[in-house]
Amino acid sequence: MAESNTSVSCSSDNFYSELLSPSELFAARSRSHKIPARGQKEFLPDGSARQRERLQQSLEEHWSLISEERVERLGALVKGEWIPSKNVVVLKSPAGKFWQTMGFSEHGKQLLLPEEALYLMECGSVQVFLHDLPLSIQEGYEMFLSKDTVNLQQYQVFSHLKRLGYVVSRFDRSTVPSHYERQLNLPPERDGHGRQLKRKRSRSPSSQLPDGQGGVAGESLEMRGGETKSQRANPEDGAAGLSEPEAERMVEDVPVPSGVPERRWWVEGGADLPQSPTRPRHRGWVWETITLPDLGAHRCQPALAAPDPSLLPGRLSVGVCAMEPWLRRLNLRPERLSRRERERERSRYRRDVNDDREVRHCRSWAEYHELRRRRRNRHGRRNRPEHLWEGKVTPLLQPGQHTTAGDVLDKIGVVGASRLLDGAAGLEDSEGWKISFDVFQPDTVAEFKKSSPGKPYSRLCVCSFEGPVPDLRVLKQLAFQSGDVPVTFAVVDHGDISFYCFKDFQLPTDTSH
Amino acid sequence: MAAAGRGDAGADPASNPGTVAVCFCESTPLLWRAGDVRTARQTGVVGTLMGSLARQPRQNCRLGRPLELLREEARLLADAGRAVLLSSSRPKSTGAANPELVKQHQEQMDQSYSEQSQLAQQDKKAVLLRVMADKKQGSNQSDQALQERLLALDHGFTFPRTAMAVQLNTARAGMSYGPEELRFLAADSLSPRDERQEARYRVFRDLRRRGFYLTTGGKFGGDYLVYPGDPLRFHAHFIAICLPMDEALSLCDLLALSRLGANVKKTVLLCSPGAEPEEVLYTSLQWSGMV
Repeated sequence: MAESNTSVSCSSDNFYSELLSPSELFAARSRSHKIPARGQKEFLPDGSARQRERLQQSLEEHWSLISEERVERLGALVKGEWIPSKNVVVLKSPAGKFWQTMGFSEHGKQLLLPEEALYLMECGSVQVFLHDLPLSIQEGYEMFLSKDTVNLQQYQVFSHLKRLGYVVSRFDRSTVPSHYERQLNLPPERDGHGRQLKRKRSRSPSSQLPDGQGGVAGESLEMRGGETKSQRANPEDGAAGLSEPEAERMVEDVPVPSGVPERRWWVEGGADLPQSPTRPRHRGWVWETITLPDLGAHRCQPALAAPDPSLLPGRLSVGVCAMEPWLRRLNLRPERLSRRERERERSRYRRDVNDDREVRHCRSWAEYHELRRRRRNRHGRRNRPEHLWEGKVTPLLQPGQHTTAGDVLDKIGVVGASRLLDGAAGLEDSEGWKISFDVFQPDTVAEFKKSSPGKPYSRLCVCSFEGPVPDLRVLKQLAFQSGDVPVTFAVVDHGDISFYCFKDFQLPTDTSH
Repeated sequence: MAAAGRGDAGADPASNPGTVAVCFCESTPLLWRAGDVRTARQTGVVGTLMGSLARQPRQNCRLGRPLELLREEARLLADAGRAVLLSSSRPKSTGAANPELVKQHQEQMDQSYSEQSQLAQQDKKAVLLRVMADKKQGSNQSDQALQERLLALDHGFTFPRTAMAVQLNTARAGMSYGPEELRFLAADSLSPRDERQEARYRVFRDLRRRGFYLTTGGKFGGDYLVYPGDPLRFHAHFIAICLPMDEALSLCDLLALSRLGANVKKTVLLCSPGAEPEEVLYTSLQWSGMV
């Protein structure tokens, strides 16, 4: 390798050396920061000298702009170091203003993601070193961008938006609240430290059961568990304490090895819970063993047994709970209804379907449906003339059945309205289509907090014109992954970026209902 | 190949004037050096700038290096012998610092610092002298104060290290990672993967030969935008769509293309490579009425 001679000042007509001499560096302090405006374009080249001259001028301006190198004061640069094994840049000097929207902390150190570090290098805010040598922008591109971090197209979109002022961060699926969570409208998680790399949905505590294989994943269990919990919490009627869990209560049939220790929740005094280790149990809560005694029933226990001390926090111990004072507070007076109310009760409200003899004769659901259909037909027969209803072509509506115009339109509609998220929950991940970034608007930068960024303005999926157009399946799946935030497609075409989004749209109907 | 200029170590492959170094980032050909961008433009290859501009990084109107090339552009340069294709492998995570290079870099920094501090001192002196010259008619006292300050400069001038100006290189400066980490790619790494890409290349080459400038045309629904002169000064006249000769085009697509062309006031050009090796057939679409 030839010795590099650094003190020779380079003449500017040698384009192949782009290193600036110290005098040039010093002189660069007073460089202009303005960009000259581009003039109007012309339509047709006519070979005239004037056109040639204008072209030369434009070109010269162009070359002078793009050949300019970045020169910064050493004190204004934040020093960073690239860690190839972890694909992050660790800052060696304190971060500047960019820390408000970029970077994250870990183990007391300030770290930057590779795309953020590369963008800051291009802005001239950060100088990144590797093995004590500063990296050039080219080396930054070649080292920081890869399949494991972000690829070149995603970086193009990232830097394009950052230059416009948006706050762009990586998409993390586990931070999207599920539909159920949104319905519950819980306050957002307050995470004190870190961002995407740290924030993962915590596993439910019952997932610490010692069974290793099989089982429903903790996340989906939480989701489905939440939705069906209301069904499971039915108080048992009949004799309190003993519970014979019905087969219908089991929703998930997941094979789990039979060595699972059974937890007893709310240990009854002496009651023995049915042991059936061969029956499939799901990982997590064992619903059948949770019994909620029906204290309003006529024959109930006089006292509830003490809970298992291992379930209580600390060294708390709770004694037996006497039911007497509580029962006294229940209103157990018999109702005294007027004759009319009693009549109404008997006919409408409290009529048990099982009192009907014909229903008792039914041996299956199919027969019961058949019985109901027969009854319905019998009642409706007075209104249904045979020549209309017994032929091959029957009317769509029965007169008197629907009263509003909207109802009628619904009933006779051939194509039902559907929304983008219909049927989206069950779709598996499509090949190659994934959401890359969250985008927050530029005017929120002042109040932006990395620990609680809030709902993004949009989510981005990066693709190119050479790939396929997203089909309905991909759109549904991505919209579902994104929750209630719209998804924008950033299409990269060799340096040009266009943004497209698909909007859900309802056809207007003529009536309001 | 002789090394030219400062900082380039002896084995720098593309230091020939007239040859550009095409560096691949993942599978995209990029040009990093300003000289390469200029040389490429002289052969008619325009490309698209995709990095931040050094002077004003936080805007999108004018971008800076690197210049992204189309595969066809890189291939054209390589076929004409004007390009060297390079790809770098990522450094191994267990690599250690090269003490010689670190020392060199440190010396360079120190040298730069001493020169800059001298320059700063001279600069300050020049300012004071100029002030003195302007105030020639002024009172003796201020003159004396200025003389004192001049003396103070000579003795007690400090130039803090943090005030030193430092360059952040855009292109790789010399061979900081050793020659084994740059791989020379054979030209057939750019060869077309399917018939469509081959059609694109044939069309590109032909249009280029006829003197047109071409850039990417995805936003206009086509493969290329065809300019009669340099894109800096002229508007595009055509949207070129490359199809293999025997590919069928449905009427709906044809109508959509014509409509598009009419809306953006450009002529749609359907291009197909012919049977002969250098033959390309063109069909232009114009939307007209039956009146």
